[in-house]
Amino acid sequence: MPVPSRPHRHGPTRRQFLARAAILAAAAPSLGTVLSACSKSGPTSAQPTLTLASPDSPVKWDIPDDNKPIADGLSPEKGATLQLYTYADYISPDGVKSFEDKYGVSVEISTFNDTDEAITKIRGGSVNYDLYFPSYDQISRLVSGKLIQPLNHSYIPNIKNVWPSFTDPWYDREWRYTVPYTIYTTGIGWRNDIVKTDVAAMPNPYDVLWDPQYKGKTAVIDDWHTAMSMVLLREGITDVNTSSEADLKLVGEQLNAMVAATSPKVTITMYNDLPAGQLGVSQMWSGDIINAQSYLPEGTSADILQYWFPPDGKGLVDNDLMVILKNGKNPVLAHLFINHMLEPEVAMQNFTAIGYQPPQNSITADSLVAEDFIPENLRTASVKPEYFDVGYRLLELDAANQDAWQKVWQAFNAGGS
Amino acid sequence: MTVPVVTAQSRTAPPPRERRTRLWALLAAPGIFWLAAFFIFPLYVVLCIVFGQIDPLFRTPIPVWNPLQWDPTQFSYVLTHIVGPNGVYGPAIVRTFVYVFVASSLCLLIAFPVAYYVARLSGRHKGLLLALLIAPFWISYMMRMFAWVNLLQEDGLFNKMLRIGGFFTPDVNWLTGQPVVVILGLVYGYVPYMILPLYAGLDRLSQPMLEASRDLGADRISSFWRVTLPLCRPTIVAAVLLTCLPMLGDYFTSDMLSASPKTSMVGNLINDSVQAPGQTGQAGAFVLLVFLVALLPMLYYIRVTSRTSEVST
Repeated sequence: MPVPSRPHRHGPTRRQFLARAAILAAAAPSLGTVLSACSKSGPTSAQPTLTLASPDSPVKWDIPDDNKPIADGLSPEKGATLQLYTYADYISPDGVKSFEDKYGVSVEISTFNDTDEAITKIRGGSVNYDLYFPSYDQISRLVSGKLIQPLNHSYIPNIKNVWPSFTDPWYDREWRYTVPYTIYTTGIGWRNDIVKTDVAAMPNPYDVLWDPQYKGKTAVIDDWHTAMSMVLLREGITDVNTSSEADLKLVGEQLNAMVAATSPKVTITMYNDLPAGQLGVSQMWSGDIINAQSYLPEGTSADILQYWFPPDGKGLVDNDLMVILKNGKNPVLAHLFINHMLEPEVAMQNFTAIGYQPPQNSITADSLVAEDFIPENLRTASVKPEYFDVGYRLLELDAANQDAWQKVWQAFNAGGS
Repeated sequence: MTVPVVTAQSRTAPPPRERRTRLWALLAAPGIFWLAAFFIFPLYVVLCIVFGQIDPLFRTPIPVWNPLQWDPTQFSYVLTHIVGPNGVYGPAIVRTFVYVFVASSLCLLIAFPVAYYVARLSGRHKGLLLALLIAPFWISYMMRMFAWVNLLQEDGLFNKMLRIGGFFTPDVNWLTGQPVVVILGLVYGYVPYMILPLYAGLDRLSQPMLEASRDLGADRISSFWRVTLPLCRPTIVAAVLLTCLPMLGDYFTSDMLSASPKTSMVGNLINDSVQAPGQTGQAGAFVLLVFLVALLPMLYYIRVTSRTSEVST
């Protein structure tokens, strides 16, 4: 009778197991390489193309049959919880409270750090957010991916309070999917007690971020498009959505030069770090320098805060949007919330809380200074309608170009030697 | 001698041992399940993302579950950008190793005497000292780093102290791009994790063995050098591993105490690319690299411990 070989009762030892796991792990990559030869013919679905909007080629988005706006005259959802998805500190708690009181609902706010992260989570679909606050640089993806739903204008009469140029914007003709939320410029903010140079008087004010005397006191915005465009503008290249390889290479080199000269922080908390004195000069959004006033230590005058944006408006000018997500559970309340935020009083209240200006007819640079809302030294941080005629926009990029930009940014973040 | 007799007995008595093995296997089942569900499977998912596709519209990763269809583009992108003319990641990787090496060495220098004192010399204060050593765990890592941000600010306590001392007047910006600060942050954050395993090892050190060495004429130093240290080598390796491995993936310390690309570590590369559209696969590739590198000391640890058990039997 053949004796069956004794089965190994004890199995591999821990040591053997780990050794095998190591071999497996080490072999896995090469396995992929070997197998890739066979997989090249794998399924590649037809590449959907993005329609990219720009001021020169405005877009009117289709309203497909399977993504219609809600019907007229619906009553708001009862006892619901409206889910907002936005940046931290980017909506006024009082404005939210008054909405809750008005409709007897509760509002929940979830936050993200950047819109790239946000869109990944929205696509994941684990939470059904109702409202989202992106910039227009995602609009094509949001519409073509059917992540947002078209608006029913009958719920939003307050659109009349908005600057006329924003009721038929180039990125969304007839405001079919979006309502403007805030407008902002991107310039340079500094403290004149730390930075003795008058940045605004420099021949090229962007140069201050490369000035070694402010080493360790500077920062750039932690957003690839915003930060890299600033480098382009410094070099006199005004196509801030360039797909030129040479331009991007130049940006990469200049970013490295900046690390060598000033070792900047890469952050979005300059609205806190600048007033706290950790930074002396920083690339900044106009809303952040206005917001910075409330972060100044006790007894420090707001006069030390300065902001430069090209006076002729030839800088980065953008706006953020309110959109209703398709998977939201409370579309009627979401429409009503948008309308609520467009009330002049609520919009002003929101501006006071977050520092970002809404494009409301009742708000002008002069009215802001006159009402002591912003001090004279920050007049430059108010956003004027004419900026939108000459300023440069951070547009949505096609996939290949976005990839090229992000690789430069990643190399910068890796920090060189 | 009785020792060989005992081993012989255990060899000639398979039934109880068999039963015991089965029982142990059963007891190990939850652990093995845990390992499979939360380590092996996630690792496979990471592989499927690294060698997977990218959604052409949203540039989010699409995992490819079938290894036959894996596409190495993203992995080889990372590999080809570590050294050479396009070597953008190389410096960050070298930097990570330097930081981790220096920080672990400092940790060991600090932790070993402390653990030795508490375990062997502190007498009746042992319990209290141990409680104090565990105390930092009561406060979250983030809060402790925030405290350092406060202390190291330009007008913070640290700079004020330097100024009063009068020997170092210029104001130093500790919080932007200072490698020293990041390394010390790592040391500060991880030193408790080093002290506790060292304490456990030193506490168990065989007293008769040490007494024997003294009886046989070794002085304090050579008894420490030739008995204590070799005996706790596995402990030291374990303690260094326990701190090294999380340090290799740490991004938070550098983010909080520097936020400058100058001090980017591999953890920061992962953190930056994991959410960036189209770069999730690259983040996964970095995860794999760290994993492979971390595996080497793990294997060494297993060698060291198995050798000691051979010696001790």
